[in-house]
Amino acid sequence: MASIAFERVTKTFEKNVVIKDLDLKIEDGKFTVLVGPSGCGKTTLLRMIAGIDPQTSGKVLIGGRDVTRIAPGQRGVAMVFQNYAIYPTMSVRDNIEFGLKNNKVGKAERNQLVETISSTVGLYDYLDRKPSTLSGGQRQRVALARAMVKKPAVFLMDEPLSNLDAKLRAQMRIELIELHKKLGTTFVYVTHDQVEAMSMADTIVLMNQGVIQQEAAPDVMYRKPSNLFAAQFIGVPPMNVGELGVEGVRFGFRPESAVLADEAGDEHFSISGRIATREMLGSETLYQVRGANHAFMIKCTEDLFTVDQEVHVGVAAKQMYFFGADGKRIDEDHHRYRDYMEALRGKRNG
Amino acid sequence: MKTFEFKYVRFAVGLVLKAAMLMVFIFPFLWMISTSLQTFRETLSFPPTWIPAVPQWRNFIEAMSAGPFLTYAKNSVIVTTSIIVIQMLVMIPAAYAFAKYKFIGKNVLFGMILLAFMIPGQVTFIPVYMMMADWGLIKTLMPQIIPFMSNAFGIFLLRQYFMQIPEEIVEAARLDNASEFKIMWNIMIPMAKPALATVALFSFVSHWNDYFWPLIMTDSASIRPLTLGIAMLRETEGISNWHIIMAGNVVLVVPILIVYLFCSKQIVKAFVYSGIK
Amino acid sequence: MDKQSRWAQLRPYMMIAPAMAGILAFVIYPILYLIYLSFFKYNLMNKDKSKFIGLDNFTQIFTRADFYKALSNTMIYTASVVLLTMFISLLIAVWLNKKSKINVIVQAGIFTPHIISIVSISLVWLWLMEPNLGFLNYVLKTLGLPPSQWLQSSKTALLSVIIVSVWQGIGYYVLIIVAALQSISPSIYEAAALDNASKWKVFYKITLPIISPQLFFILVIMTIGSFKVFDTVQVMTGGGPNNATNTIVYYIYGFRTTNIGYSAATGVVLMAIIGLLTFVYFRLLSKKVHYQ
Repeated sequence: MASIAFERVTKTFEKNVVIKDLDLKIEDGKFTVLVGPSGCGKTTLLRMIAGIDPQTSGKVLIGGRDVTRIAPGQRGVAMVFQNYAIYPTMSVRDNIEFGLKNNKVGKAERNQLVETISSTVGLYDYLDRKPSTLSGGQRQRVALARAMVKKPAVFLMDEPLSNLDAKLRAQMRIELIELHKKLGTTFVYVTHDQVEAMSMADTIVLMNQGVIQQEAAPDVMYRKPSNLFAAQFIGVPPMNVGELGVEGVRFGFRPESAVLADEAGDEHFSISGRIATREMLGSETLYQVRGANHAFMIKCTEDLFTVDQEVHVGVAAKQMYFFGADGKRIDEDHHRYRDYMEALRGKRNG
Repeated sequence: MKTFEFKYVRFAVGLVLKAAMLMVFIFPFLWMISTSLQTFRETLSFPPTWIPAVPQWRNFIEAMSAGPFLTYAKNSVIVTTSIIVIQMLVMIPAAYAFAKYKFIGKNVLFGMILLAFMIPGQVTFIPVYMMMADWGLIKTLMPQIIPFMSNAFGIFLLRQYFMQIPEEIVEAARLDNASEFKIMWNIMIPMAKPALATVALFSFVSHWNDYFWPLIMTDSASIRPLTLGIAMLRETEGISNWHIIMAGNVVLVVPILIVYLFCSKQIVKAFVYSGIK
Repeated sequence: MDKQSRWAQLRPYMMIAPAMAGILAFVIYPILYLIYLSFFKYNLMNKDKSKFIGLDNFTQIFTRADFYKALSNTMIYTASVVLLTMFISLLIAVWLNKKSKINVIVQAGIFTPHIISIVSISLVWLWLMEPNLGFLNYVLKTLGLPPSQWLQSSKTALLSVIIVSVWQGIGYYVLIIVAALQSISPSIYEAAALDNASKWKVFYKITLPIISPQLFFILVIMTIGSFKVFDTVQVMTGGGPNNATNTIVYYIYGFRTTNIGYSAATGVVLMAIIGLLTFVYFRLLSKKVHYQ
């Protein structure tokens, strides 16, 4: 087990600076998810931990030890790749024990390890098969077993579920959570899918353009996004945002915080509009409501309205968020917070 | 119902045409075999003899005793196998380095490989012959072997193949603490087997059949390959002894035809692969 | 650690070293040596008597009729072989395009000559084209046509060599074109059918542009390959009759012992022609050919 730390890390490819002076601590034994849009630098961070693409400058520490000059195979980390990167010419058994052989683990111990791990992931009956005869889900398990068998201090995973179908992905999510609980090792997991991040993480590290936007537990990330980017990245559909018209400040609310009604209610923020689209998703319904200046997505648990109907949207005061001109969220104890609230009331029926 | 019949007629006509075309390409070889079993008198008859009355197996003995054919065959085998083995040893590490490592001057060096790919032996044979003479190798098989140590085409093909292998597999192996040599030997080379087979097959066919290079590089019977020996039958046997010449020709062609008969699929695949990449 | 990283930096160079040595020794150095030789009146018996004569060999080349004869023979040969092979193999490939057992067998059959030594091919055709007893004249006579002298007349010798080369090459190019045709996604044809396109239009507007990279590759390989034609000529005609089939490489070969400097200079000219062809082709390639 080990914690991971980045100290003033910079990474450049050719001449592009992808990450600049980044500091980050990943806690020991936690399930940390690095999430962000593609090209945000999350995979770059993961590859720096693994050592397969070392940082240009700065330090990476694993368990307090500077690993800058240590080869990937000697860092005590294991990685599961997006395309699994299974050795196609080796049998499942050879795949799993390749790392052990390289680390000069004795034959008896090796066999015992391979057998336990393969039963854990349900591959025991497939040990002598070639990977090409396995299904996508089984290959995924080979990759997982290959990582687990080395008993690494850190587990790295690079979008390991993105090649699976939706059903299998949901199942694997649960298995990974259980696996983490059982092993208690540090997991670092990269994904662009905020659902995966929310469902599995102890801590989410949200990145954009090489910069960490927010580092928090999933519920905090959802309730108290530190900026506009975090607010709009987490949650489906993303947070509704509109111009307040004062000092460049923007207001926002989540689609699921709004109430739809035929009559204007007494909520703090209230506008009227017409339903432009309706998406019935089963347990909930998404409406797009077009007002005079804005279009908002509204999520309801009941399916009461039809397209082209005139409706009123209401949001309670404590469900509203404000973001400054720089995109940072404005906290409740900010000295102008009350003024913005007042300005919002003025936008009624706007 | 008319279209139904039409379809059958069309199929039948197509089949006949295809058989006719196939004949255009196969017939010369059948004709060669037929001639090789005829008597001298039969070859002179007009209209020609289709099938010899009594197969003249002694034509082969006569053809083979016209020169040291055992030596020729041995030379062909030694030259071809040596070329393939040396090419593999030289080509694999080079193609791997060009595909998977970054290093200064890589593009220039690879450009030289491409240049070598473009320059045929028909341009360089004079200076190479003179070099071989300077090195005192003219009386050996070396001039037929070492100029082919670097197979530019093979390096090019194999590099393409290595580049297609996902980088993640190499990275996974590095994380598994495998040495660079082990990655190449245990993971990459087994994966590249189809490409290696293609190059080897290609080398085999082109060097077994080669005529120009040995013609330039040899001036005594002890180092000549089969192709030259057969071509010389015309001089030793006289121009009109077609039954003997064809018998010698059968000896040269039949081994390759047999190989082709049994693995035409792989050979066809190899040639197509080399043509498309 | 430092020792290790230095080794990591050196490793690629060590790995390519044998290959580069081979290319330096047997391609790059010979090219330079060839150019060097082309400026000399070289004396094979006594190197010290070799004389630097500047561009004299080249002026001689371009004033000699036999060079122009060899050059024009080579050009006629190349143009005919390339055009005929291209046209016929495209035709056959379209015909045999459908995946079926029969087509696979026919393709393998017409490919056979390609893996046989040119020596054998030439000997067989020499026999087939024999003017008095050969099979081809028998066929012509049976059909009531006048027999031909084939390789033994200066009028038909070059044509005969061309026929043999085309016959030998077609199978390979059919295979490549068929592979290209079969790699076209069927949905493109389905889309074209929905757009009500005629068969000819589909071929001309869709199929041909998609396989143009392969056709282009064939064109380059065939042209360069044809320009260095030698084996067929050497075995079948010896350049004759009356220089009718003398080609550039055969010409170079002819002077290789008697006048090395002159021979080398002709080699330089051949190299320049091949280089020019390659260059022109790749310029065209970057402009015209459709790539997906």
